[in-house]
Amino acid sequence: MPVVVHADKCNTCHGAQNPPCVRMCPGDLFMKDPKTGKIIMRDPSECWDCLPCVKVCPQEAIEFKLSYQLGFHTAKLMPHIHDTRDFITWELIDTKGVVDKFTIRTKVLPVELDEKVEGVTAVDFSI
Amino acid sequence: MEQNVIETDILIIGGGTAGCLAAVELKEQYPNLSVTIMEKAHIDRSGCLAGGMNAINAYLNPGETPESFVKYVRFDSCGIVREDLVLTMSELFEYCVKKVEKWGLPILCDEKGNYIPRGRWNIKINGESLKPIIARAAKNVGTKILNWVVATNYIMVNGRVAGAIGFSIRNGNLFVVKAKATIIATGGAAGIYKPNNAHDAQHKTWYCPYNTGAGFAMGIRAGAEMTSFEMRYIGLRVKDTIAPTGTIALGVGAPQINSKGEKFMATKYAHIGGDGAPTPYRSHGPLQEIKEGRGPVFLDTRHITPQQARDLKSAYLDMYPSMVLYWAANEIDPSKEPVEVQTTEPYIVGGHTQSGYWVDVNRKTTIEGLYAAGDVSGGAPYKFVSGCWAEGVIAARAAGEYAQKVEHADVPAELISAERDRVIEPILNFTHKKEGIKPYDMEVRLQKIMEEYAGGAATFYEVNEERLLVARRRLATLPEQFKYIIAEDLHDLMEAHEVIDRVLVAQTLVEHMLFRKETRWPGYCTRTDYTELDDQNWLKFVNTRRDPATGNIEVFTRPYEQIVPGDRYKPR
Repeated sequence: MPVVVHADKCNTCHGAQNPPCVRMCPGDLFMKDPKTGKIIMRDPSECWDCLPCVKVCPQEAIEFKLSYQLGFHTAKLMPHIHDTRDFITWELIDTKGVVDKFTIRTKVLPVELDEKVEGVTAVDFSI
Repeated sequence: MEQNVIETDILIIGGGTAGCLAAVELKEQYPNLSVTIMEKAHIDRSGCLAGGMNAINAYLNPGETPESFVKYVRFDSCGIVREDLVLTMSELFEYCVKKVEKWGLPILCDEKGNYIPRGRWNIKINGESLKPIIARAAKNVGTKILNWVVATNYIMVNGRVAGAIGFSIRNGNLFVVKAKATIIATGGAAGIYKPNNAHDAQHKTWYCPYNTGAGFAMGIRAGAEMTSFEMRYIGLRVKDTIAPTGTIALGVGAPQINSKGEKFMATKYAHIGGDGAPTPYRSHGPLQEIKEGRGPVFLDTRHITPQQARDLKSAYLDMYPSMVLYWAANEIDPSKEPVEVQTTEPYIVGGHTQSGYWVDVNRKTTIEGLYAAGDVSGGAPYKFVSGCWAEGVIAARAAGEYAQKVEHADVPAELISAERDRVIEPILNFTHKKEGIKPYDMEVRLQKIMEEYAGGAATFYEVNEERLLVARRRLATLPEQFKYIIAEDLHDLMEAHEVIDRVLVAQTLVEHMLFRKETRWPGYCTRTDYTELDDQNWLKFVNTRRDPATGNIEVFTRPYEQIVPGDRYKPR
């Protein structure tokens, strides 16, 4: 289970047809849960751990976890984007709860909450 | 299945790093041409760079020249490369790197503003957002972007590529894109062999698991000439996470050691450069230690300071964050404990090794109207990110010139309807409630055949004539099964075509491995029946061409030409 979507934090980007996590996953692994409308991951075993989904979620509702084969349950690694968008701070918590932070230069481009898809009208669109 | 028909001057298939640079170059050099990118995912985060990069691994640092680069790449590829391609690519590193820096890529500089070298050919970057940066540049110049359109085949009219057909995984529409010239830039192929990790981490692979060899397969189906598939890429990676080791080996100068603490590369492989031996030997060396009972093998990082360990983590966060989480989750401190390494499953790529389309110096393939750039283009290894940029630029210049001289071809309607029927079959199998097989089932079957008979990790990447013949026979039965594949939705349909493409790549690969009766790249493809490098008979390229009418794969050779003088087995 490399990436976990916390349903309590996901607001579906206010009903976006095509929210950023859906757009940014190179493996097309995010979809709307037909029952709840929240975003779910289609198939965790297909995940590449590349993390664009985690970094782009405005709610920080997506958490990256190592699969259990690779690491133990309590450690965490969470990226936070600065308001200036030119730094990213990674918050690392090890299995004993020790917190470490890394602030690294980057250039985070703004991402719209929704985006039209070529050849698709809003009416016939469904994830 | 509705049809969207689009006419464009140039079609670029694959919006990764090569495709984006090609689009920008085209619009800058030929502002009147219309350019369309067909991309299977979303261009902002697709392909190999989705997660980011922490270095430009092919760059001419002060004191180096295109010729010295060719010498190094030739040495690293055990004496055989397309020197014309490597030369033309390296001449454009500076142009491309400066360009992308201008778009906003942070490159690490010293106080004087010079790039900081990391080894002979590397510079460090903060490339977490590299992909969105180049994607924005491609959009800003006015490229039309078709996101989520999976390319399935070229439109072939009278032996010329006149565009391509794909389908949208968002609404199932068929996209027919007619183009005067086409650039293929889809990347290489992962998923041909069994992955290192199983279960919920099966895609914890080094190479992008969503690069499935579509570009190769489309070319093979159309009868394009392919080269050097037998030079498979097998990387030395950090165990379990499959994180790149260059960050450690080059970043903090860590040597390889075996379980006895012996620096085996420095002693046993001294004659070919020790820890600086050609890349295949840096996988072959540790593999032999493990095979002979002196594993596990490590990169010895115990000499580094806590600050260096921290810098190492920072570097990984730009590109491979799971490495940092792995250390935290397993209570590992790389400054106190050496980092265990292992080799990956084989990948078929043109960016690290040289598998791909046989191209001329303008990156024109053997098919009229078709150009290839990046991982899908063969003959020029050691491309990495900047080489893919350079090839995108070269292909763009040539394709732009060609497109001005020709008109759109008339595309017969039967051709489109035949491809539509082929594309949609797995969905129809589901709606007609037929009994069948899931794409994943076929993928696992393919991987098992390749793993056991065609030199997977479990067999130490070793092959021989007899095993390869079994692989050939087993693989030959898979295409007969394509008609039973079932796709429940459009995501499944994409996976169905991915596995169909992978099978074709695997069949071609086996023909290549059967033909080269020597061991040119130990560790990448070790032949147990022809164990030595044999310059007398095999200093040449092994190429294949599949006959579109019969499906027969013809194997033949092309000569190697030395352009840059010097000992081909020396790095300088």
